[in-house]
Amino acid sequence: MTTATTTTRTAAAARVVDAVKVYGGGDTAVRALDGVSVDFPAGRFTAIMGPSGSGKSTLMHCAAGLDSLTSGAAFIGDTELGSLDDRRLTLLRRDRIGFVFQAFNLVPTLTVDENITLPIDLAGARGDKDWIDALVDVVGLRDRLHHRPAELSGGQQQRVAVARAFAGRPDVVFADEPTGNLDSRSGGEVLGLLGRAVRHMDRTVVMVTHDPVAAAHADQVLFLADGRLVDRMESPTADKVLDRLKAFEVPS
Amino acid sequence: MTTPTRTLPPAVRISLSSLRAHKRRFAGTFLAVFLGVAFLAGTLVMGDTLRNSFDTMFGEATSGTDAVVRSADAITTPGESQGVRRPVPTDLVKTVERVPGVAAAAPDIQGAGQLIAADGDPIGGQGPPTLAGNWITDPRLNPYQLAEGRAPLRSGEVVVNRGTAKKGGLGIGDTTILRTPDPVKVTIVGLATFAGEDGMAQVTFTGMMRADAEKYLPARPGEAASILVRAGPGVGQRELVDRLAAVLPKGVEAVTGQESAEENTEMISSQFLTVFTLFLLVFSGVAILVATFSIHNTFAIVVAQRTRENALLRALGASRRQVTSATLVEATAVAVTASAVGLAGGIAIAAGLQALFPAIGFPFPEGDLVISLLSMLLPLAVGIVVCLGSALLPAVRAGRTAPLAALRETAVDRSGTSPLRAVTGAGLGALALAMTLTGVLVSPSLWLAGLGAVLALAAFVVLGPIASTTVVRVLGGPLGRLRGVTGDLAGRNALRSPKRTAATASALMIGVAVVSLFTVFGASLKATMDQTVSRSFAGDVAVSTPSFGAGGSGLSPALAPAVARLPEVAYAVGLGRGVAEVDGKGRALTVTDPVTLGKVFDLGDVRGSLSDLGTDGIAITEPEADRRGLEPGDTTRLTFTDGRQQTFKVRAVYGRSELAGEYVITREAWAPHRTQDSDTLIAVSFKDGVSTSAGKAAVAQVAARYGDPEVQTRDEFAESSAGGIDMMLTLVYALLALAVLIALLGIANTLTLAIHERTRELGLLRAVGQTRAQLRAMVRWESILVAAFGTIGGLALGGFLGWVLVKASDGASDSTFAFALPPTQLVIVALVGVTAGALAGLRPARRAARLDVLRAIATE
Repeated sequence: MTTATTTTRTAAAARVVDAVKVYGGGDTAVRALDGVSVDFPAGRFTAIMGPSGSGKSTLMHCAAGLDSLTSGAAFIGDTELGSLDDRRLTLLRRDRIGFVFQAFNLVPTLTVDENITLPIDLAGARGDKDWIDALVDVVGLRDRLHHRPAELSGGQQQRVAVARAFAGRPDVVFADEPTGNLDSRSGGEVLGLLGRAVRHMDRTVVMVTHDPVAAAHADQVLFLADGRLVDRMESPTADKVLDRLKAFEVPS
Repeated sequence: MTTPTRTLPPAVRISLSSLRAHKRRFAGTFLAVFLGVAFLAGTLVMGDTLRNSFDTMFGEATSGTDAVVRSADAITTPGESQGVRRPVPTDLVKTVERVPGVAAAAPDIQGAGQLIAADGDPIGGQGPPTLAGNWITDPRLNPYQLAEGRAPLRSGEVVVNRGTAKKGGLGIGDTTILRTPDPVKVTIVGLATFAGEDGMAQVTFTGMMRADAEKYLPARPGEAASILVRAGPGVGQRELVDRLAAVLPKGVEAVTGQESAEENTEMISSQFLTVFTLFLLVFSGVAILVATFSIHNTFAIVVAQRTRENALLRALGASRRQVTSATLVEATAVAVTASAVGLAGGIAIAAGLQALFPAIGFPFPEGDLVISLLSMLLPLAVGIVVCLGSALLPAVRAGRTAPLAALRETAVDRSGTSPLRAVTGAGLGALALAMTLTGVLVSPSLWLAGLGAVLALAAFVVLGPIASTTVVRVLGGPLGRLRGVTGDLAGRNALRSPKRTAATASALMIGVAVVSLFTVFGASLKATMDQTVSRSFAGDVAVSTPSFGAGGSGLSPALAPAVARLPEVAYAVGLGRGVAEVDGKGRALTVTDPVTLGKVFDLGDVRGSLSDLGTDGIAITEPEADRRGLEPGDTTRLTFTDGRQQTFKVRAVYGRSELAGEYVITREAWAPHRTQDSDTLIAVSFKDGVSTSAGKAAVAQVAARYGDPEVQTRDEFAESSAGGIDMMLTLVYALLALAVLIALLGIANTLTLAIHERTRELGLLRAVGQTRAQLRAMVRWESILVAAFGTIGGLALGGFLGWVLVKASDGASDSTFAFALPPTQLVIVALVGVTAGALAGLRPARRAARLDVLRAIATE
């Protein structure tokens, strides 16, 4: 990593360089990531796609500090994750990353309100009240703030998760199949929220999905196969993504 | 039915594989059952072994005695298992010796005799008797055998049992004082053993020349406690007794040596072993009760966690019965293994104690452990029944799992706070309160109060889930403000399943309740002693034997008059103890100078006069007089140990019996019937203007000439009267530590299971930025909250039960009991409870913090 390359890439909110991730060892070793280098530019909505086992979730987990690389490096901003111990990684996730998982995003004992501010509360910080207020209005949950997750529909729960992910104004929000458990209408709402956050609020989102319709909400789509970055598509549409995915299946 | 494993019923197969897969979950249950069963088995085996040892010991020591000649009647006072027998004349030995078939006969002259150790302190006297007697020259009649040195040949020479010599730092050739209670200078010439041991348990024995024994020990010369007889060859014990009976005077009987040994063993058993074993059994009961809660909880949680799995089984066609029995089979496997291991553990504990006893100076005959069928079967049965019983409800619930439950996700369980529970609990509580209050205040009845206390416990358990919600909310509030979201989360987690929180805390609650019950009762007893002394004792100093009645040699009857002659002293009165049957029931008599008694003790209202009891007058305490319908001027008939009856006139009825006893007679009235002459307490009041310290010094100087008993001021006297209570409490605490330990295991186990259940949530928390330290703190605080709830409940319940016990005892006896809440001790109990909670949370917290974030999130 030379200084020159770093400066040219200040626009990246997160990136991985020569990322290799091997699970297991010996004969049963699996190369989930096989030398991936990719930038997730700030202020952009990036979708990662690929068939199951392509390594798309592993890529996201490693980029987000939930998992460590076997070799190569992962950065959030200028911070190299491999050099951080568990505590620092945790603090980094708390302060600079937002998460939206496929399911079970919320702590059942906390109210909607408390779930949204959870990372901020864990930091013992005050948070930006106006920003959170605005977020609550954007996700449309003002009348549900004091409800518990069990009293919300799946779509509402994911909207709370989105609000939580952006509450601390993180450098980047990682979304792992955020619509995987939702019907198309609720899914559409959640994707709309992610898109709006990027376009109107200048946020950065990285989303793993297998759904071309979801991927179409992104600014760019990265295609992974067998642990390698195989293609990239700007301004995707559902049809174009679907065609591209079909193209994968023919050679493989 | 093709593979061998298929021959097992499906329920068994499922549960066995589940056990194999989730060994950890049952570790807590296993330990709880194990500890309870081990304690119970250990108690039973040790009790049997001790009883057997005493049997053997007495059998061996008295094997040379074929018959014992003694007075036929014994007078037993309440609270004592060994009756007082009138002595027999030593002259009877000559009559006995002439009976054909008698090889040897010797009088057994016995009395109290306390040796002074090398450092000047008396040896023993805190419970086991301190005995002195004649050294019987026939070695086969003498229960003690000479081990070192020689038998006493001159006046002043004695043989002591080796254990006593060791304890007192004395050896052959040493000269010391024997209090009989008058100080006798003695020289040790020999050391003796009892049935090969250093002594008969902790009993101290000093053997002297027969002439010395006759001079110092009995109330009157020429009397012996009994006569030991050895038969000649070919004469059986029964035959010997029959022959003796023919020549014995009226009122004197002969029993076989075997019967006498059995009586002695029985006496020790009932006085010491039974109480000891019962005491331990009560504590195993508490431990097992606590274990029940822990076990129930574990199964309830395991079943809840397995809802999906069970639902799947049901959906695939398993019947309710199959699902229920799968859980029960699991419980059986745990119960049987844990109980069996617990039984082995209990036997090991008993063996360990047997090895340990001699090390702490408690002679204990070597021998095999006595493991009766009962002490094998009972702990096993209790362990299995408790474990299965605790698992029954959860198992039934498992069977009721709806097949659709597989698809539902219930995050927060609000069950356990239903209105029905609130109503039932409140009803039970009200009933408990009404019963105890009636039993305590309106018509004193221990039964009613006791039943009320049990109901109170039930009410606490039923109301637990509701109370837990409230208490955790109240405690969790400040915690949230103090520790931020970590404290908040801990509070909410503790609130998640009120039923589970309550059940977990209940185990600790019971432990803490019993601890605080004893703490409160102990403090109340002390306060009672204190109050008694300050109310009834109007004197300035007291001279007393180490403990009331039982131990020590008593005080010389010459001490009180000697003290009274001091210029500093206004009044000094000695209190002796006598026994007589009053209307056929054995009663303790206070033998004293009643006139001075009234000056140094506050006897309350006195009707009649204490000044002229004479040799045929008696004073009775008010409640006893009321019970027997006696008024001053009435008569009552007393039968003494010498078999003589005498009619006494009630000349006074006094209000307070606490220190003075229920019946008071004069020394003159007692003199013809006395057994041994000694005082147990001397109360002294000084002339005006004499300072307590000056007076005390003067009294101590006189006392030094009479064996140097301790002189205590009023406060010291009150304190030493209560001294035994602290010792008892220490023992109780040590035993209850086990119950508390089981309760803690329960908390730790519940937490571990809960963490397992919340894996995904913990993963999420870690993903969005909860540090490991925060997560650990969260689990620890949850543990502390649960423990705090249990501790608070236990303190409240224990305090209440303590109050009931004190008040009920107050109502059931003549003396007034004071109720006291010792703040310091209770705060310590509270702190221990909460600290214990923090400790219980350590391991689960560490395990939770080790969770792999990614794997946790991916957990189903």
